[in-house]
Amino acid sequence: MGDRIIVLGGGVIGLSCALELAKRGYDVTVLEIGTCGGQASGAAAGMLAPYSENPEYADGFFRLCLDSLRRYPAWQEEVKQLSGMDFEYTESGSLYAVYHEADLSALTARLSWQQAFGTHAEIVEGGRLEQLEPQLGQARAAVYCPEESHVHAPDYVHALEAACRKVGVYIHEQLQELTLTDWKNDIRVHDRAGQIYEADRIVLCTGAWSGSWTEQFGFSVPIYPIRGQICAYPVEPSMLRHIVFTSQGYMVGKANGMLVCGASEDIAGFATSVTDRGIDRLEKLSKKVLPFLNRMQPTLRWAGLRPATQDGYPLLGVGSEQPRVIFACGHYRNGILLSPVTAAVVADLADGHVPELALGAFQPDRFG
Amino acid sequence: MKKDQLVIGGKALSSRFFLGTGRYPNPYVQNQAIEASGAEVLTFAIRRVNLDEPEDDSILQHLQERPFTFLPNTSGASTAEEAVRIARMARASGLSDWIKVEISANAQTLLPDPIETLKATEQLVQEGFTVLPYTSDDPILCKRLEEAGAAAVMPGGAPIGTGLGILNPYNIGLVVESADVPIIVDAGLGSAQDVVQAMELGVDGILMNTPVARAKDPVRMARAMKLAIEAGRESYLAGRIDKRRYASASSEYEHLIVK
Repeated sequence: MGDRIIVLGGGVIGLSCALELAKRGYDVTVLEIGTCGGQASGAAAGMLAPYSENPEYADGFFRLCLDSLRRYPAWQEEVKQLSGMDFEYTESGSLYAVYHEADLSALTARLSWQQAFGTHAEIVEGGRLEQLEPQLGQARAAVYCPEESHVHAPDYVHALEAACRKVGVYIHEQLQELTLTDWKNDIRVHDRAGQIYEADRIVLCTGAWSGSWTEQFGFSVPIYPIRGQICAYPVEPSMLRHIVFTSQGYMVGKANGMLVCGASEDIAGFATSVTDRGIDRLEKLSKKVLPFLNRMQPTLRWAGLRPATQDGYPLLGVGSEQPRVIFACGHYRNGILLSPVTAAVVADLADGHVPELALGAFQPDRFG
Repeated sequence: MKKDQLVIGGKALSSRFFLGTGRYPNPYVQNQAIEASGAEVLTFAIRRVNLDEPEDDSILQHLQERPFTFLPNTSGASTAEEAVRIARMARASGLSDWIKVEISANAQTLLPDPIETLKATEQLVQEGFTVLPYTSDDPILCKRLEEAGAAAVMPGGAPIGTGLGILNPYNIGLVVESADVPIIVDAGLGSAQDVVQAMELGVDGILMNTPVARAKDPVRMARAMKLAIEAGRESYLAGRIDKRRYASASSEYEHLIVK
């Protein structure tokens, strides 16, 4: 058995890291204050869309997202095999729809650099756009990106948890409060009931709750919650073929017949409540983009807290003065997408290997 | 002493900092950065906002609480006709009758098309808009835009988002010298020193977005830019010393001698 590693947080990032670490022979324990996948992971719409989410330029974050997308086909297959569970993974492609003539030059500029990164994306309009997505209202044009895909996030997270258990990860849930009492000589975590967990290293996957590490380590960890509200309509599964993005939100049709529309970006502290105003806004948006929804009402509504950071990039790496501590938090809108690459990077760091990807922009103590 | 007040289109402004609302990592950082900047005028691309329900817009919904002056822009337009059409839509939404004319003919440099910019400015002034054209730093063109009725003229320091700073300070100086409307440097700045340089050249204000929104700490950078605008303005008004080839002692020895 290798070193003992505690993974703090049982969201999609924590579970993915735990799975990869256990596969590489570590003795892994996941500690979760609530329920695995109970926060942002279980609320996410599951889009795997590095091109649509990064329209500006090819920075390190775009490369991280793209690397993770490319890992997905093998990764999701492995999670399914290890867990013995199935979940939706659909290589649907996406349409980024625009409504003004003036949007076209930005789309052209986006494609001009993204095509160098392997996408066969193209601008589609008129009959071709209608053929691709017959239910789309009158968009001026769209970027069709065939490589983007989506997963059913809650089912994916359940399968990850089951896979972790199958490969021998210990998972402790409902711990309510966890305190890191030693990280210098050893790793020691106390839960509220007084139980002590010891390990050689720790991976922090604490999502929107990561801001509290500021006090612990004496450097700034500017991570805070941004609430995302989502609603869903019951439709025929084939009504929407692609992920549809607009500047105001996205829509994606799931295999179970739910058409998901998201998401708000609310400044509401740690409140996970759903508001009428938030959902009304999504309802108006979805009905404008997909007119066939006009006769319907969303039947599901929910919200989750995304871990936002000050510069928009996650914290991914080992603390320069905390060699036993690996940070993997602050993934904001892209936690589901980034789960396989984060797991690989964290496991490489645990192995003492330098990951292939440039991680400089994600250094955990970069905020000083 | 006369108050140093910036007035555009008859409106007295509390700040010389005009801030863009795009590219922030999230709404929380955006709000904090706007707060720290002290900016009263905020700009955004009309094509990206929900004009039917501005209060529902993904960006504007976070800006409802304070009395900002919105400066919608026509970015993405490649002709005067298109810019005019976009401006009319923005005004019809009730957001603002101020308009930043932004017409680019080249997706790579996003440099403004001077001829179409002048045409759109003429047309929109006739239609009663308060027009602030984004233009190249050509002094003659800037004057022509003023003569066409622009409420302020906004020459770029460098192409949008490049952070290259003031590429032609000589031109910006000439623009300021001949202007009878406020001159706002719009686009291309990177850090506080570029801002101070622009303000010392005598411009009346700064419009920027990327250097704040994409800084590692956008809130702190917003504050830095605000201070740079104030410092540059004060330095410009205070009047700098002449440059000399050799040192001149700042205090004479005589008064140090113990008597």
